Amino acid sequence: MTQFSISASSGIPIYKQLCTQIERMILTDAFSQGEVLPSVRQVASELEVNPMTVSKAYGLLEERGVLTRLRGKGMAVAKQAPEKSNKERLLVLSAMIDELVKEAMLMGLTDDELTKLFKEKLDAEYSLAVIKE
Amino acid sequence: MSTVISIESLNKSYDKQSVLSGLNWQVSQGDIVGLLGKNGAGKSTLLKSLLNIDEIDGGQISVFDEAHHSLSISSKEKIGYVPQENDEITWLPVTDLIKFRKQFYQQWSDEKVNYYLDKWQIDTRKKMIELSPGQAQKVLIILALASMPKLLIFDEPASALDPAGRRDLLKELVNLACDENITVIFSTHITSDLERLASKVAILDKGKICYFDDLDKTKENVVQLVMHGQQLSQQQIPNALRSDIKGNNTYCVVTKVDLIWLEEQKQQGVKIDIKPMGLEDIFLEITAS
Repeated sequence: MTQFSISASSGIPIYKQLCTQIERMILTDAFSQGEVLPSVRQVASELEVNPMTVSKAYGLLEERGVLTRLRGKGMAVAKQAPEKSNKERLLVLSAMIDELVKEAMLMGLTDDELTKLFKEKLDAEYSLAVIKE
Repeated sequence: MSTVISIESLNKSYDKQSVLSGLNWQVSQGDIVGLLGKNGAGKSTLLKSLLNIDEIDGGQISVFDEAHHSLSISSKEKIGYVPQENDEITWLPVTDLIKFRKQFYQQWSDEKVNYYLDKWQIDTRKKMIELSPGQAQKVLIILALASMPKLLIFDEPASALDPAGRRDLLKELVNLACDENITVIFSTHITSDLERLASKVAILDKGKICYFDDLDKTKENVVQLVMHGQQLSQQQIPNALRSDIKGNNTYCVVTKVDLIWLEEQKQQGVKIDIKPMGLEDIFLEITAS
């Protein structure tokens, strides 16, 4: 089973795609804290990518404190303080919002229109959450 | 990283038509290099030259630190080469061809040979000439992999392979890259094959390696800039390969974003979008002029 998916022809380097995906999966609890990630070899042969690419992504996430290297076991999701993970959450979201804002600008939307739309979506999400409760 | 291939001022021409001129290139151990070039750019010529299949007109080539024209047997054994077209004896049945080739090598994996013969359903009783181009190419790949080389050179490996065969080959190369510090060069004009696997990309154009860098760095560096409400000429943009003015905007491809320049533009209130480019577009831009 392939847990990750990449687009090789995209202009975004594969290691970056993997980093973003793993970070998102951790934030959405697809990977829980302490969970061991698939080995470099597994990911490389499943995605048919250069193993160095996978190592690079894992290494970068280790540097950022997202993953921890377990001796002989591979990479695991780091245990994080809640406030730190909140900061990380905002960081990932911020990148997604950048994309959105760019698109909106290209479409020629005004700041007000965009803010209004965002507010509407937020309200809709909240009322949905209330109904569910 | 030690250097596996080193080429200096390589010249090669056919019938007074210059193909390679003053070509310099170095490939390190562990590199998986995608060699890109248009049809007729000289990719096969370059590969055949460094393997001493084609005689060169001038320059120096070393492979595993030995002059390429006088490689020792142990160095030769470490090289696997898959040519674009079958250069094996056409009248031998596959099974005899494999036996024949095996004799030349100290190391030979029967296991690998049998695995792929079975997987690719090759009728070993058939002569090479009786096989389809795709099947013949698969036999050549099996022959190259069987001796467990340290340097693998493929000339357009995907040209005759079906998608499943290409996938199998990619998987094998991934495994080799995981287990051993193998060096691979594969020439292609199909960029999607190399985007997954290559660690480096080399572009052959006008007789030279005009571009050689990490694939990741290439994708990070070569980008399209969109300058909104600006009409700039190519000379006004640092590292520009090409620029176009459409309406009020300037679209420009750069080999690297000049961060100081970018900051200056931002300070002046210029809105610039940076758009990543796929390798195919990058290749076309670099070889366009």
